[in-house]
Amino acid sequence: MLTVIGQSLVNGLIQGAVIALPALGLTLIFSVLGFINFSVAAQMTVGAYAGWMVNSHLHWPFAATLPVAFLVAGAVGVLTDRLALAPVRARSGGQTSLMVAVVSIALNLAIESALRFSFGNDLESYDVPVTRDFRFAGLLFGPQELLNFGVALVAAAVLATFFTRTRLGKAMRAVADNADLARLKGIVPNRLANLATFIAMGLAGLGGALLVVTTSVDPSVGSRLVLVVFAASVVGGLTSLPGAVLGALLVGVASELSLLVISPVYESATAFLAILLVLLLRPNGLFAGVSAVRR
Amino acid sequence: MSSISRRSIVSLAGGAAVAVALRPSRSLAQDAGPVRIGLIIPLTGATSQFGTSMAAAAKIAADEINEAGGVHGRKIEILIEDDQSNPEAAVRAAHKLIDVDKVVSIGGSYASAVTSAIAPLCWESGTVLLTSSGADSIMKLPHHGYIFRTSPTVTLQGTRVGEFAVELGGKNMFFLGPQTPFAQSYIDIISSIFTKAGGKGAGLIYEDKKTSYRSEVDQALRANPDTIVLGGYVPDTAVVLKDLYRAGYTAKRIGFSFGVNPAILPAVAGDVGEGTYSLVPSASEKSEAYKNLIGKLNRPSLDSYSCQVFDHVALTALALANAAPDVVNGTIVRDNIRAISQDPQGAAVDLVPAALKSIAAKQTVNYDGPSGPLDFAENGDVKGVFFRYEQIQQGKLALIKVA
Repeated sequence: MLTVIGQSLVNGLIQGAVIALPALGLTLIFSVLGFINFSVAAQMTVGAYAGWMVNSHLHWPFAATLPVAFLVAGAVGVLTDRLALAPVRARSGGQTSLMVAVVSIALNLAIESALRFSFGNDLESYDVPVTRDFRFAGLLFGPQELLNFGVALVAAAVLATFFTRTRLGKAMRAVADNADLARLKGIVPNRLANLATFIAMGLAGLGGALLVVTTSVDPSVGSRLVLVVFAASVVGGLTSLPGAVLGALLVGVASELSLLVISPVYESATAFLAILLVLLLRPNGLFAGVSAVRR
Repeated sequence: MSSISRRSIVSLAGGAAVAVALRPSRSLAQDAGPVRIGLIIPLTGATSQFGTSMAAAAKIAADEINEAGGVHGRKIEILIEDDQSNPEAAVRAAHKLIDVDKVVSIGGSYASAVTSAIAPLCWESGTVLLTSSGADSIMKLPHHGYIFRTSPTVTLQGTRVGEFAVELGGKNMFFLGPQTPFAQSYIDIISSIFTKAGGKGAGLIYEDKKTSYRSEVDQALRANPDTIVLGGYVPDTAVVLKDLYRAGYTAKRIGFSFGVNPAILPAVAGDVGEGTYSLVPSASEKSEAYKNLIGKLNRPSLDSYSCQVFDHVALTALALANAAPDVVNGTIVRDNIRAISQDPQGAAVDLVPAALKSIAAKQTVNYDGPSGPLDFAENGDVKGVFFRYEQIQQGKLALIKVA
C-alpha cells in the first residue's frame, strides 16, 4: 500500500509541476492586469504545436523546441491580447475585468478553432522516443517525465529570480501592487502589460509543450486542462506566484491520491472541490501569506 | 454600444414577436421547398476522427439524390451540425434542426452519449433518428420506432472482442475505458465471457480529459492482466497505450474501431502501439454501393461509419419517395424505411438513383447500401453485421480476418 501511495505522490508531483507553468501564467496576468485570461488554455496548445512543428518537421532536438514553444506562445499571446483584449480593457467601467475574462473565453475558442483549421483534428506526436520506465526504491519513474519536472522547476526558479532581482521584474510587481503609484514613479503600465502577457503566455506554451511531449497534440489539448490550471491558480490565491506552483503541485497530488479512494471517473471533481473549499474557507488562497506578486 | 439604442432593441424584439405570431401554425411537416435532412456529426472533439468523411459521404448521397431529380420533384437539402463530441452541444443542434429547420430525420449521431441526449427530442417531435452509436441502452428508450441503428450494438461488439481475446489465449482481462453509456456493459459482457472460459475479468472506468493515465494504468496492472481491452476514443486511447508501454506492459491489447483506427497510428508509432488489435465494423466492401461511394470520394477505402451516414441520407430519401407526395414528415420516413430496405420480395438495388427510379415506377425495392444490407430488427437495430479484425503491424493496420 505504501508503494501505491508513493507512486501516486510521484505521479501527482510530475503532473502538478507541468500544470504549474500555465497556472503561473494565469496568476501573473491576474496580478499585473487584473483579469483572468482564459486564453492560456489555447496558448498551451499554441506552444505544443510550435514545439511539435520544429521537433517533428525540422527535426530539432527536444531541448531546442522548448524556447520555441515559449517564444511563439508568448508572441501569439501578446498579439491576440492587443487585438482582442486590450480594446476591452481600455474601456472604463465597473465590469471591465469580468468583460475581459468573458472576451478571453471567446478568444480561447477562436485560437483553438484557428489551430484546428491549420492542423486538423488528428493527434500529432513529438518525435521523441517513448521509453520504458525505470524502477527506483520500488517506484516507477519515466525519464522524460523527470526531465519535464526539472524543466518546470527551472522555469519557475528563473521567473522568481526575474521578479526579485531585475528592475523590470520589480517594476511589474509595483504595477501589480498599485498601478497609479507606479505610474507616478515613471513606470508605463501598458508596456509592462505586454511584457507580463508575453511571459505568462510563454510559460503556458512551455507547459503545453511539456504536457504533450509524453502524450500527443490536438487542438483541444489546452482546453481540456483549463479547469485544473484554474484550480491550481485559485488554490494559490490568484496573486501569489509561489502559491500557483504550490497550488498546482497540491492539485496534482490530490487528484492522483483521490484515485485510491474514489472511482477515476470523478477525478476532476477533486479540482472543483479544491476551488470550492479554498473559496469558502480561505478566499485569498492557501498560500496568500507567501510572497505574492503584489507584495 | 451607443449606436444601438434601447428603443431600437425594443422595436426589434417587438418585430420579432409579431413575426413569430404571424408564422403559419407550427407543423412538423415540410410543405414546400427542399426536403431538409439534418446531420449531427462530430466535426470537432474527441470523437471527430470520422467527422470530415461522414460529412463528405452525406453530401455525395444528397448530390446523387438531387441529380436523380430529388424526392417527388423536390430537392434534398442536408444541414450539417457539429456536435463537438459533446451531448450538450448536440442537444442545441438538435433543437435547431427540429424546431427551426423542421428536418424529417437526423442522421450521423456517432457518440453514444450524444445519441442518448438527442433521442428524446427526436421521438417527441416525430423526427427519425438514424444513428451509428453502439450503446444498447439507446434502443431500450421508448422511441416509438423513430430510432434506426446502422451500427452493431455494444453487446455484439463486446461479445466479439471477448471471444477473440479468449481465442488468443487470454485468461485475465482488464478493461480500461472512459465514462460512456457503454463502458460498464463492456466490462460485464467481456468479463462474463472470460469467466465462462475459465478465466476472469475486471475493469476501470476513467475520466477522458486527462493528459496522463499513469495511476489508472498502475491500478490496472496490479490485477496482473494478460489482456487489456481499450474502450476509449482516440485521444485517451493513445495516452493509455503510451502509459501501458512506459509501465512495461507487454501482453495483449485489444481496442475498438472508435479508439484504434488510422487516426491513432501517428500517436502510437514504434513499439508503443505495435501488436494492438482492433475490432472494426466492416462496411459492405464488395458491394457496388461501396465502390461507387469511394470512387466519388476519390479514396482507396472508407470507414463503416461514414458509409452509414451516406445510408442515413439515402434511407430517408428512399422512404419519402416510397410514400405519397402530399405529406412529408418524420413519421412517413419511419413508416417507410423497412419497405425500401428489407422487403424480401423487393428487387435488390445497390445505387440510390436506381432505387429512386424503381420506386417512381412503383416497383418494390430492397436497398443495400455501402454500409451493409440495412435490415432492421423490430427494435430498430441493424441485423447481419460483419467485423474486420485488424492489428497494428509495423505501424499500419493489417487485416487479420473478416467474420
